[in-house]
Amino acid sequence: MNDVQSDTAELVYTRIFEAPRELVFRCMIEPEHLSHFWGPVGMSTPLHSITVDARPGGAFETVMVNDADGSQYPTRAVFVEVVEPERLVWNELGSGVTTTSTFRDLGDSRTEVRIHQRNVPEAFRSPQAQAGFTSSLDRFASYLRQLRTDAGQPGAAEADPS
Amino acid sequence: MSVTEDQLDATFTALADPTRRAMVARLARADATVNELAAPFDLSLPAISKHLKVLERCGLISRTRQAQFRPCHLEREALDSALDWIEQNRRIWAQRFDKLDEHLRDLQRPTSRPTSQEQPTGQEHPTSRQQPPPEKECPP
Repeated sequence: MNDVQSDTAELVYTRIFEAPRELVFRCMIEPEHLSHFWGPVGMSTPLHSITVDARPGGAFETVMVNDADGSQYPTRAVFVEVVEPERLVWNELGSGVTTTSTFRDLGDSRTEVRIHQRNVPEAFRSPQAQAGFTSSLDRFASYLRQLRTDAGQPGAAEADPS
Repeated sequence: MSVTEDQLDATFTALADPTRRAMVARLARADATVNELAAPFDLSLPAISKHLKVLERCGLISRTRQAQFRPCHLEREALDSALDWIEQNRRIWAQRFDKLDEHLRDLQRPTSRPTSQEQPTGQEHPTSRQQPPPEKECPP
């Protein structure tokens, strides 16, 4: 049962966009576009804080600013691979996270974007990425969160199953 | 105990293995002995022991030295930092994708009038236009 061997713990996020691949790709490397979506909810990414030098060895730098209190979250990364309009790979300095974005043309002006993240540069770079496994670390996280919430009160979880 | 980045790396490495994840899930319910942890797996005790050492080294579990059966105990702080990272990361990408989706719609919206009128008035920076254009609400 446990013979599925995989040394990877990649996190994968996939989304299909109703737009042609070239446009979606451009959105990921042009500051004017990035400033519209790079910051998650409650965060902005001011245009002047974005540096994109889309070629291997080039810089990819952003600063996310918390809309509520102005606190700043700078991220510095370096492009490892730029294959327009198919693939972007960058390496985050500091955390060592490697992010691979793959842009797949689905036809009819639809594009699938896959974000692969490898958390630990060496240990996680094993090639045996298994389709069925890729999101399970993510599911595992939710599962454990649930368990932890259930067991939140000391002693309560074991004594009282309700 | 503060969780350093190295520890977080080690935690992710430990969690990369499905057997070890199953062990952690078991320990999230309650402490367990090595035999109890080994029960669901078709693995030798030395193999189980190896997995436990990996979990122990990165601080995810601890084992009591004195007790005869040395029950394994899950160290929640180490686990939580990994879970936090995973969840925060997932949230960020989900929200980025939502915003990108909206941005792509805006870019491709058929222009019923010259695009020059889309320019914001005044001389403010067009960096944080979070408000969707009001014409979005118009009935078809």
